[in-house]
Amino acid sequence: MQVKVKLFFTLRRGRSRVVDIQLNPGATVKEVIINLGIKPSEVAIVMVNGHYSNMEKQVDDGDIVALFPPIGGG
Amino acid sequence: MMFPEAKILDVDLTNQKISVRSLPGEIYRLYPGGSSLGLYLILQEMQAGIEPFSPDNMLVFTVSPFTGLPVAGLSRVVVTTKSPLTGTIGDSQAGGFFPAYLKANGYDAVVFKGRAANPVYLFVNGDKVELRPADHLWGKVTGDAERLIKEELGDEGLEIAQIGPGGENLVRYAAIMNMCNRANGRNGTGAVMGSKNLKALVVKKNKIAVKAFDKEGLTTLTKNVKERIRNNESIDGLGEFGTDGDLDGFNELGFLPTNNWQTGWFPEGAESICGTTMAETILVKRDTCYTCPVRCKRVVEVPGKVDPFYGGPEYETCAAFGSYCGITDLETVALANQLCNMYGIDTISCGGTIAFAMECFEKGLFNTDDTGGMELKFGKGDNLAILIEMIAKRQGIGDLLAEGSYRAAQKVGGEALKLSISVKGQELPAHMPQFKPAVGLIYAVNPFGADHQSSEHDTFLVADPDSQERRWLGQLGVYKQYQDTFDLDDDKVRFAFDTQCFFSILDTLCLCQFVWGPAWELYGPDDIIQLCKYGIGWETSLFELMRVGERRINMMRYFNAREGFTRSDDALPERLFDPMPDGPSKGITLDKEEFEQALNTYYQFAGWDVKTGNPTETNLRKLSLDWVVKR
Repeated sequence: MQVKVKLFFTLRRGRSRVVDIQLNPGATVKEVIINLGIKPSEVAIVMVNGHYSNMEKQVDDGDIVALFPPIGGG
Repeated sequence: MMFPEAKILDVDLTNQKISVRSLPGEIYRLYPGGSSLGLYLILQEMQAGIEPFSPDNMLVFTVSPFTGLPVAGLSRVVVTTKSPLTGTIGDSQAGGFFPAYLKANGYDAVVFKGRAANPVYLFVNGDKVELRPADHLWGKVTGDAERLIKEELGDEGLEIAQIGPGGENLVRYAAIMNMCNRANGRNGTGAVMGSKNLKALVVKKNKIAVKAFDKEGLTTLTKNVKERIRNNESIDGLGEFGTDGDLDGFNELGFLPTNNWQTGWFPEGAESICGTTMAETILVKRDTCYTCPVRCKRVVEVPGKVDPFYGGPEYETCAAFGSYCGITDLETVALANQLCNMYGIDTISCGGTIAFAMECFEKGLFNTDDTGGMELKFGKGDNLAILIEMIAKRQGIGDLLAEGSYRAAQKVGGEALKLSISVKGQELPAHMPQFKPAVGLIYAVNPFGADHQSSEHDTFLVADPDSQERRWLGQLGVYKQYQDTFDLDDDKVRFAFDTQCFFSILDTLCLCQFVWGPAWELYGPDDIIQLCKYGIGWETSLFELMRVGERRINMMRYFNAREGFTRSDDALPERLFDPMPDGPSKGITLDKEEFEQALNTYYQFAGWDVKTGNPTETNLRKLSLDWVVKR
């Protein structure tokens, strides 16, 4: 199955803003993150299809996953 | 050890008298720089009830014992005065090279009192300090004034902190600019400078004479700095994308303040005004402050339109002129930033006030007769440049908007009163309390109005428990893990108050908050202890420093109490308690009852009176402020 991943701030360094990845059915957000070569500890907030979610959430074909590092002031 | 003395330059503008005095080390240790030192000097001398534009208001520039040491993030200057925007104590910080060179001339503070009969500027060259006429500079934008000052002094080696026409015309959110692109932006300190007929504070770039107490020891902080940066994604990313790197992320989360905070959802514009887009398009250089390798400052250019001399927009500026106003064009935002730097105006309050005016127009509270024919609608960027100029020159509707959204709303009345998104009269920075309630709590209680750089943000409490952010926050006793950012329980309030005290240390010691801090920054709490020891021989602890930070906040609240401020002034705009209307955050609400309860808890944790929100005599005495109580 294919999942679209939107990356924000530092997570897009060396990558692009949006990445399409292929995964086995039943994969979780955590597997999406690992698949992209990102350490799960770098991700603070997860959204799936525009809703607040978490690492354990199973994703489906066509889902949009957005990943955020812990972003602060400035 | 002997704590260093503070050397203070007193300038009486009314009588054109200049003198120097020293503050003993045992006092400087209690108020070691920044607005803490500024408050100490102000509370010693200034009576209550003095109008911000009165000659009797004091305007104090301060650095710290650390300013100018060759370590990243140590070149910051703080301006303290009674704010014409908020009526509270005013506090505003800026970086650049000016702070290091002010200290290089031997001074920890420059205190301006009175009012010059005609425009002047102060030229500081070591012991040689003179007031010089500035009639020929009055009315000039910052870039022109800087060039003229360098020409007439025949010296390119100068650092200049100055006001533009905004400050001269008493725009209540006028800034003090150095390098023409670094701003003591908030609280309208530039207008106080204008009221004193003081155009600029010019310092000669004399040799930096600040010597580390233990030079070798200090290298433990500096020798691996590049590796530290490489190993810190947040800092390295800040260098790459600037502060604006987060903008489209906030939008994706549904919390980018848009159309005067009516929504947090700006899908049509967030991508085009974010830091990644800036880096890919108009960014021509990453600039820096004295001895700082982080290079977070943006320099942008649009040939024929935006001049790189005036730097580039921060996140706050991109939000204030972008999403607050519904504007999707980065070049328009960059031009607005340049104009604010030329005229010397705070970009946050300016964008916030224009967004207020746009909503007033759309709701029929203003019409084209009021605006000189302009259609002040969200998304219409073609009026932005002319509006900024009208504000700086107080022309047409600009005269009303130069008062800030709060005072403008009072004059317009009716529904407009609900449209000023401000606390204590200061427009909100672009972090939504609905997403970050602890930041919202600090917006409400911060002594000088809504401020996003006075405490750590809620987002770090959902970070990985093994991350640097959580390890450093752990040193402050912050260890509770949250699943999302929306809680405002006791632990959150403690986090808000304790990190507020911590940030108050930074604003006292004049440490840059992107380099020194309790979470994501380059140097953490332990490093500050090392800096104190090796930098000036101050053997201290986080305990003593937290008291330093708490003392500053209490002095500020005491100042405000004298001016009649109470708990009722610690209120967020009503709009913030409405459910988020659309986008990914739809339905999320900052609960008003929970927020009021958190305020109660905050005052209790701070040792203040819950009813008035003001410091108790006991708490002031605990913080060695018995002299304040006795006055």
